[in-house]
Amino acid sequence: MDPLTWTGSLGTVLNPILFILVPLFAVAVLARIVLSMFEPDIGSKANADGTLVATGGIWTLSQRLVGWLGLAVLALVLAYLIFGAVMGTAAGIIGGMSQAFTPVWIALLVTFVVSIRFKRKLGLYGKLFDSTIGMIGFGIVMFWVFTAIFTGVFDLIATHDPLSQASGMKNKVPGTPLRGAEEGEFQWYLLGGDNLARDVFSRMVYGSTVVIVIAPFATLFAFMVGITLGLPAGYYGGRLDLGLSFLANLVLAFPVILLFYLLVTPEIVATGLPQFMAVVLFVFPMIFFGVLIHARYRTQPGKDYLYLAIVLVPLFLSYMSAINETGSKIDFWPIDLFDINSGILVVFVSVVFVNSPTVFRIVRGLALDIKTRDYVAAAQTRGERPWYIMLWEILPNARGPLIVDFCLRIGYTTILLGTLGFFGLGLPPESPDWGSTINEGRKLLSIYLHPALPPALALLSLVLGLNLLADGLREESLRD
Amino acid sequence: MKDDYTGPILEIDQLSISFFTRLREIPAVMDFSVTVQPGEAVGLVGESGCGKSTVALGVMQDLGKNGRIVGGTIKFKGRDLNAMSQEELRDIRGSQIAMIYQEPMASLNPAMKIGKQLMEVPMIHAGASEKEAYDRALQVVTDVKLPDPRRILNSYPHQLSGGQQQRIVIAMALMAEPSLLILDEPTTALDVTVEAAVVELVKELGQKYGTSMLFISHNLGLVLETCDRICVMYSGEAVETGSIEDVFDKMQHPYTQALFRSIPLPGADKNARPLVAIPGNFPLPHERPPGCNFGPRCDYFEAGRCDGMERIPMARIEGDDRHFSRCLKFGEIDWHAPPANVQTKEKSEPGRVVLKMDNLKKYYEVAANALFGGSGATKVVKANETLSFEARESETLAIVGESGCGKSTFAKVLMGLETATDGQILLDNRNIESTPIEARDTQTIADVQMVFQNPFDTLNPSMSVGRQIMRALEIFEHGNSDAERREEMLRLLDLVKLPRAFADRMPRQLSGGQKQRVGIARAFAGGARIVVADEPVSALDVSVQAAVTDLLMEIQREQKTTLLFISHDLSIVRYLSDRVMVMYLGHVVELGDTDQVFSPPYHPYTEALLSAVPIADTRVEKQHIVLEGDIPSAMNPPPGCPFQTRCRWKSKVPGGLCDKDVPPVRMLAQGHQIKCHLADEELAQMQPVIKIAAE
Repeated sequence: MDPLTWTGSLGTVLNPILFILVPLFAVAVLARIVLSMFEPDIGSKANADGTLVATGGIWTLSQRLVGWLGLAVLALVLAYLIFGAVMGTAAGIIGGMSQAFTPVWIALLVTFVVSIRFKRKLGLYGKLFDSTIGMIGFGIVMFWVFTAIFTGVFDLIATHDPLSQASGMKNKVPGTPLRGAEEGEFQWYLLGGDNLARDVFSRMVYGSTVVIVIAPFATLFAFMVGITLGLPAGYYGGRLDLGLSFLANLVLAFPVILLFYLLVTPEIVATGLPQFMAVVLFVFPMIFFGVLIHARYRTQPGKDYLYLAIVLVPLFLSYMSAINETGSKIDFWPIDLFDINSGILVVFVSVVFVNSPTVFRIVRGLALDIKTRDYVAAAQTRGERPWYIMLWEILPNARGPLIVDFCLRIGYTTILLGTLGFFGLGLPPESPDWGSTINEGRKLLSIYLHPALPPALALLSLVLGLNLLADGLREESLRD
Repeated sequence: MKDDYTGPILEIDQLSISFFTRLREIPAVMDFSVTVQPGEAVGLVGESGCGKSTVALGVMQDLGKNGRIVGGTIKFKGRDLNAMSQEELRDIRGSQIAMIYQEPMASLNPAMKIGKQLMEVPMIHAGASEKEAYDRALQVVTDVKLPDPRRILNSYPHQLSGGQQQRIVIAMALMAEPSLLILDEPTTALDVTVEAAVVELVKELGQKYGTSMLFISHNLGLVLETCDRICVMYSGEAVETGSIEDVFDKMQHPYTQALFRSIPLPGADKNARPLVAIPGNFPLPHERPPGCNFGPRCDYFEAGRCDGMERIPMARIEGDDRHFSRCLKFGEIDWHAPPANVQTKEKSEPGRVVLKMDNLKKYYEVAANALFGGSGATKVVKANETLSFEARESETLAIVGESGCGKSTFAKVLMGLETATDGQILLDNRNIESTPIEARDTQTIADVQMVFQNPFDTLNPSMSVGRQIMRALEIFEHGNSDAERREEMLRLLDLVKLPRAFADRMPRQLSGGQKQRVGIARAFAGGARIVVADEPVSALDVSVQAAVTDLLMEIQREQKTTLLFISHDLSIVRYLSDRVMVMYLGHVVELGDTDQVFSPPYHPYTEALLSAVPIADTRVEKQHIVLEGDIPSAMNPPPGCPFQTRCRWKSKVPGGLCDKDVPPVRMLAQGHQIKCHLADEELAQMQPVIKIAAE
């Protein structure tokens, strides 16, 4: 087996084009930036069909040039990916990767086609497809979500096992053929091997599952905590607000990294502190949903109890299963449905703990604003209870900023998870999560770049995608 | 900056402005022409969304990214503004054309002292030195009649009251002695008495500086008081232009006529001149009908003729001074015929007393020091001072007063959101003054309900209309199942004359008037017997106001509701109320039957209020009373009579009584009480404020 080049046979055609296009594009962008400093007011005129056209000499020309060249570069990148997916390793490493991601491409394509087709019926989600930035962000985020699903659930994308080592593959460069590969096994380490001779590509792909599972869930829990405490703080104000805000400030002022180190210290774990924190933090979703339903159906007891039972019983069972663990401080509940890895529990608890005060502050501010509205006064004058007003009159109207913040916060959480992994906190040492892999790759960074870069780029792209998605959502939600 | 140009200051000729969205072109202004001569004030009147502000922005060439002038010319002193470069425009804006916006606080930089902001104008436009600029600023601030100009120049915007801020904005606009002043609803955010003073000032300054004015307003009365000429706009088009006298007295367009018929005039009797609402809704800019835009709502509409052509041209009316109408049939319509199909309805007689207030007091304690509250001295704000009145079944009691007079506090106490400090509220002879809303039983809550002022705020934007009404029904324990409640909800929609299909709509899909109707339906969900209506129509367009007012009165007739109508608009109060209560700084200064309150003897404050209301009727002669200064803060009320700081009758009271004692409540006639020190002889000499000139 020959080692793979980056672009294989595809490169002989496309690479020369790439080498011409990219510098051209760079020059055009530079020229555009320089020219824009001397730009006069560009007149624009209306066409009969209702569109606007800007007119104005060299400035418009440079603008158009940047646009067209940018499109061309984009088309070229697409060509690499599409032909790669078809040709596989014949198109080099890029082709191999693109082919491995085939299920993700198909899923993305379906998502986009369906969403754009029905975008007028899909509310805020549909409006996202009116914004280019939002679409790009959504695309990147969904790429990683699908990758995580196909890897974690269907075991599709990864080419090798993320933990198994292959002899002679230690620190090998990308595209190295697997020595003594068996029949049916993938023949190459697409992105090379790390210093324990594991496949970097597969580890990167598996790393996504860790992030995609923990980050949104932890953020969701942080939101539950923040909303359940922030609403009364903003609505009632006074001493309650003072007390809760002080607590929030206290948590925010505590050095985060130190907190994490403390939480994973074996002595602290032995005292059961992370578990007790989980007991407190995990109870908030139950409070939230319980109050939510009761406030709404207070006047109809029959429905009230039915819905409460439907929602609260499963929640309570999962809550008890989550906090109960054999051999730990909390070990009395008989129906333990599942166990959470104690390392993951620590990560989860600490991420929720440091994120919820910020959410608390946002919700409190929104509640302070919205409680002055007339519809809140109308609810008060018809004798609604405070929690109904908070959860059904105030919260739905604060959803815009909260959804945007939710996206941004998943991004922060992703970085936080990366940081935790990097310091080796919480997750097991051989775990393929991106933070740990970056840390391992870092040790030989001056000699071998390839083990550290892919997880770093993966982390970067996911967070970038989330930020772009948040931008798109904000833009579209403001437009209404 | 004076030059020798003598032609018209502003000539707008067949102007068309469009906004471009991703979906379509939206024409905001079409075929609009107006000319402003030197020293002339032209009023631009129309309902919201008719394009009047767009015209102003067009003149300023500030239409934003997606707005475009797609046809016509705007000439300022003979020069075409459309053809000017950005630099030339920058020179003109602020120095030759100045604009005054609705919200004064938004026009001032909160981080910059007033003096500095004013001085910028001559320093930028005329290259004046700092000394010259300061002198000029001082002079202009004196001109706009602000007390203690030096202190004002040295203060920040938030240290001034709303009225003072608007005066500063006017001063800033006048700094460069512009030839044209554009005022975009300059007094909408102000109280009536303050508004009257500002309008007076604008008029005076216009004469003093010889400035031409383009006055944009939705209030016909204001335009009558300030302008020489008027241009009525409807749905992006000017429908009638002409001199004030021509348009007000000899209107030649059905829309103008409908507009006048839908506003109450305090001089007219409600039985002789009932309000006539304009049927239908304002067309959306991209759904305008062919031909005449007003056609679908017009009484004189003739199919095939009024919608037969693409656009109706403006036609000159012979014999009048530059009087134009955009109507094909103006020659054929009998403009003096009384409105058709108007039925006068019997007013039901007030029944037994349902609500009684007795010496109600509400004080708030405010910590003098916010950070270490409790340790320092506390201040007492007397929001309501000895409020006593009775309200009967199917009676309308109007509560009149400006911001800070305590009417909202009173409403809160009545609703149970606050508890009274002293005195009692009797609802059906039960004391409710110290029962907070949580402790009230469902029936009491359902009996006393409220309709709110701002239609855009009164409905929860993320809940469908039907859901919100059904929620009220649930809370009031109405009906046993969702199906029953849904039926009841649909019945309520019928009651407020909304189509049943609206049940599934979201509030953002409704117009302001429709939202207000939903708010009314929600208030009546529990069969309310007492409804507090807090300025329910003041935020609506005039043509919608009439319809909503009529609706309220009709429901009242049917359900024998007691209506507590809070308002500052005396025209509408006179139109619909049986009794009137005038409040000032927490005190009831006058209370009596509508006729008693609206005719002398008045309380001096009532007199000023009446004089301040702009009336859109050229036949009305008003006594001119302008109150000096602003309403004192409730935190720091004046000693003695609350109104003494602004009262013009104060000198008539001997012994400085006004400074010392709060006046006692005096009965003047059966059911007519006022709180004033003035002697009976003085009161007897008062002249009526509003007189209708003999024809």
